[in-house]
Amino acid sequence: MRIPDDDDAASDTSLSIRSSLRTEDDSSTTYSRSPDDSDDPSDELVTPLQPPNSTQQFTTRHTEFGHCANEDYRHVSAFKPTAKIVPFVEEDPPYYILLPTYFSYIMLIIFGHIRDFFGKRFRSQSYRHLMPSNGYAAMNSDFDSFYTRRLKQRMDDCFSRPITGVPGRTVMLLDRVSHDNKLSFNLTGSKTRALNTASYNYLGFAQAEGGCADAVEEGIRRYGMSSCSPRLEAGTTDLHQQAEALVAKFVGEEDAMIASMGFATNSTTLPALVGKGCLVISDELNHASIRFGVRLSGANVRTFKHNDMGSLEALLREVISQGQPRTHRPWKKILLIVEGLYSMEGTLVNLPGIMELKQKYKFYLYVDEAHSIGALGPHGRGVADYFSIDPAQIDILMGTFTKSFGAAGGYIAGSRALISQLRRRSHATCYSESVSPAVLTQIIASMGSIMGISPPVPQPAMSDPPKSSADVRGEMYVYPGPAPASALPTWMNLPPQLKDGSEGRTRLRRLAFNSRYLSRGLKKLGFITYGHADSPIVPLLLFNPGKMVLFSRLMLARKLPIIVVVVGYPATPLISGRVRFCMSAAHTKEDVDFILKACDEIGDLLDLKHGHVKERWSIEEVLRRSGELVEMEEVE
Amino acid sequence: MATSSINPNLEPVFAFLQSTYSMIESTWNRVPGSAVVARYIRSSHQNDPGRTLLEVLLIIFAVRTLLQSRTRAEGSGKNFISLSEKEIDELVDDWVPESLVQPLSPQEQHELDNVPVFQGPAGSKPKLLSTGKTVMNLVSYNFTGLAGDERITSRAIETLRKYGLGSCGPPGFYGTIDVHMNLEEDIASFLGTEAAIIYSQGFSTISSVIPAFCKRGDIIVADRGVNFAIHKGIQISRSTVRWYDHNDLRSLEEVLQSVEKERIKKRLPLTRRFIVTEGIFENDGAMLDLPKVIALKNKYKFRLCLDESFSFGTLGRTGRGLTELYNVPATEVDLLVGSLANAFCAAGGFCAGSIHVVNHQRINGTSFVFSASMPASLAVSSSEAIQILTNNPTHLTTLHENVRLIRSILEKVDGIHIPSHAASPLIHIQLAKSIPPSSPATKSMKRGHSLEPIQTVKSNAQSVLPANPLQFDIEAEERILQDVVEEALAQGVLITRAKRLRGQEIVEPRPAIKLAVTAGLNRKDTERTATVIKNAFVKVLARKKKAGPMLV
Repeated sequence: MRIPDDDDAASDTSLSIRSSLRTEDDSSTTYSRSPDDSDDPSDELVTPLQPPNSTQQFTTRHTEFGHCANEDYRHVSAFKPTAKIVPFVEEDPPYYILLPTYFSYIMLIIFGHIRDFFGKRFRSQSYRHLMPSNGYAAMNSDFDSFYTRRLKQRMDDCFSRPITGVPGRTVMLLDRVSHDNKLSFNLTGSKTRALNTASYNYLGFAQAEGGCADAVEEGIRRYGMSSCSPRLEAGTTDLHQQAEALVAKFVGEEDAMIASMGFATNSTTLPALVGKGCLVISDELNHASIRFGVRLSGANVRTFKHNDMGSLEALLREVISQGQPRTHRPWKKILLIVEGLYSMEGTLVNLPGIMELKQKYKFYLYVDEAHSIGALGPHGRGVADYFSIDPAQIDILMGTFTKSFGAAGGYIAGSRALISQLRRRSHATCYSESVSPAVLTQIIASMGSIMGISPPVPQPAMSDPPKSSADVRGEMYVYPGPAPASALPTWMNLPPQLKDGSEGRTRLRRLAFNSRYLSRGLKKLGFITYGHADSPIVPLLLFNPGKMVLFSRLMLARKLPIIVVVVGYPATPLISGRVRFCMSAAHTKEDVDFILKACDEIGDLLDLKHGHVKERWSIEEVLRRSGELVEMEEVE
Repeated sequence: MATSSINPNLEPVFAFLQSTYSMIESTWNRVPGSAVVARYIRSSHQNDPGRTLLEVLLIIFAVRTLLQSRTRAEGSGKNFISLSEKEIDELVDDWVPESLVQPLSPQEQHELDNVPVFQGPAGSKPKLLSTGKTVMNLVSYNFTGLAGDERITSRAIETLRKYGLGSCGPPGFYGTIDVHMNLEEDIASFLGTEAAIIYSQGFSTISSVIPAFCKRGDIIVADRGVNFAIHKGIQISRSTVRWYDHNDLRSLEEVLQSVEKERIKKRLPLTRRFIVTEGIFENDGAMLDLPKVIALKNKYKFRLCLDESFSFGTLGRTGRGLTELYNVPATEVDLLVGSLANAFCAAGGFCAGSIHVVNHQRINGTSFVFSASMPASLAVSSSEAIQILTNNPTHLTTLHENVRLIRSILEKVDGIHIPSHAASPLIHIQLAKSIPPSSPATKSMKRGHSLEPIQTVKSNAQSVLPANPLQFDIEAEERILQDVVEEALAQGVLITRAKRLRGQEIVEPRPAIKLAVTAGLNRKDTERTATVIKNAFVKVLARKKKAGPMLV
């Protein structure tokens, strides 16, 4: 718990930046790559603010996974039974914010139409794809693309910013300029390193170095990059089977199936699961992939108010008692689809509430854990773990590997009968390419290192802080201990800190601390944020579209640039444009401090602090009392 | 007004009306500002009595809409039966849902257990996990033989060491890595189009590209034999679909004409119109006559959406696909969709076309926008594969020679039918004589095969079924083909039946053996595999002939 002092470290910084474990490794070309030329070693993003002392050894690159040795900056992500699950409330800003927001949209629309009107007449060349010509209808209608051309294009410099290198704690942006009002961009050739709060890198497994990357390299050498065939034909290797068995063990279900794309996991499985005569009840904010899949399935769909158990129960009572439309026959089955963690709101599903309703109304439950798996729960096993609910009670668990595991693709887990049937019926297993072996290796290595591999190395002071295990719910599902060594390919040699699960645990607890610290900190500073305090996604409400652009640009223009994701209509309701921070275990406490400071300054500049928190804190107070803030039951 | 001339018996009624009117008037006058409104209405009525009528109608309409939307929100409108809470509770208690899935039948379980599993990499000579034997692989889409290629893996590892594995974000939010942009440029310049966009899964590419452009009211003219992914794309687009007979360009022209005629007859507005078809058809290996289709689409002013998943990387001197084979500029194809997972042995898919076409998808391609971009190493693998094919076309010459060799051997076998084009590296083998369905109740007959052949020669463009659908007993045919597969496997050659999603396909394709010819096997090995397959067919078909009566 001691904070390293400067004299200790000055002597030995080189040790810290590169993996000290692989000094014996002679493949120096890959590892001792000199930092990118645009990286200034005095940059805080490259070199830790508090350099490590001689006793501390970090095995990660600071730019990919920040060095943070202070054990105070840890927290356990778990649901406290004393805490109440508050329904999702949208906090409204004062009218003087709301009205200009509407006004800006109205202005954008009016000006857009005026420009279209004159543009089509006087500059028809640049409107060619929007107008019928030569007997062809317009490729895209000007009405459909109006939003893109007239609203989004104005802020296009904040979207699709190209990057290079690892999207870890920091990321290297490729600078670009536009000479035609953001219709197209040209790379300038220069690069900017920025603190990354945009990537879904919750556990910080986006790394080009370390045990996982080493395993992947070995995997590629052994298996190549592709298995060149759908799963049902010849796309299965022993690696696929091992990965699926490990995933099933990880999430606590009987069996699991892996698909090669996160989006497709939903869109190709749902049609295999439900069909005509079935009803899908879907949260109104469910992801596009779920809607896509449900639409293909031919099942009826009803939606309920976001995370509102009252609305859900009323709907359940109505649909069960009314039966199918017109015929009033009873539904064959009802499938409730919810997400574990909503990526735009940061809300956590009210799983205890849903489990109660499930008992009574006998629907099947499909939980999309795209964002929550790995990121929530004391063991990183998602929402079920967070609420201490036996995952086997949930019929179908779906998740992706893109986010917490630094890989790609997704999984479906459930009972053996279910998964066997899906293996036969899912569109993906029959027609799409199977997952790349490289991706599978990353999945196995990262998941294995969160679980730990038996035989466990004795771990003295590393056990969870006492508060975590004691006060979670009574009848607790016990997650299987470390994965047996047989669950991993024999050739996979993970370094000891991954094998014993200690690094995995640290990652989980660092993420939980960072998430809570940022979300609470912003709240205390007076911002309006959505979502649950333990959510690694922290949305901060900006409302006005103009502020979205400014916020993103100002964050990037700082001395220590920060990249953020801003989202507005149509991904959110018209007036609730927001910036979304994605926290990562790779961030250090200092990084979160930077973010808070930046938000504080920009928040004053853009007049963003309209939250209804009882007692606002100054930025200094927030930084100083970070530990207290994180441990607080509720922020008032 | 002419009230005085009306029957005096109505006098009390008028009196009542009079008093009510005066009461309303006095109340009205008490409301502040009413005089202004009244003056406005009066003057506007004087100027234009029609307008008053219009406005009254408008108000009635607005009130009606408001009320209607409220009732609609409560339940399913007219059909809604109101029940008491107690009744609802009883109904909830009574309701027993079906089980989530049916358990697998022993037959299905057996089939699933017999899916080949490799121990180690999938290449042209993989090792089977079950037996530990090395087999020759004609199942993997390793057409170019690039699976496990040194050059690709070393570039992939290099990339891994610079970029890590996952991209951790969708392309719109910092998931656009320079290697993705490079790959897009590589594809565009390889094909000679303005631009290209990459998706992270081959299967999800076309089913996302179609709905990005085809909306309700647009017209899609599609081949009856298109693959499953296209069917799904069409389904999600909600466009009007017209079907033409599989790979029959006369039928295509008729449908195109009829669409245009219908539009003129019904005076429909001009909407986007697309021809959707495949280069090499996944379902049978037939090949499209691209120049003719392009002539047709230009004549009738349609746009062409071409799925080159199996022709890209396999056809033409350097693998540029159908456009190279026919020497047609790729810019003639409006939406050229291909897969990077098949011939390139990487992952993902792409859509190439004009800048507008590509940029439109960056916002509207659902599976592009809402999915993480592909791992950098996989993108680089594809770039490297393009590099290899451009610089060194021997991969493709070997492939084309192997295709010719296998075809020359298999064509001598009696009792089989190969619907695939002679140049197609994807070879489907069907039984020459279809086994008629044994009973109308056969499960597999559910869709797609009417028992009574329709007598009309022309098929109905609005139906996905052709005029005279071939009838076959899926289970019986698959059993024979499976015997062939097992026979070949015993001889060390891995082949497969074309796997289908029986029951989910819109048209059940005819059961077939599917061979993916590869440049990874040399001439001698290829000859051996072909001979083994030939012998397996001969053996199984002879056995079947013996047991013939029992089957029918």
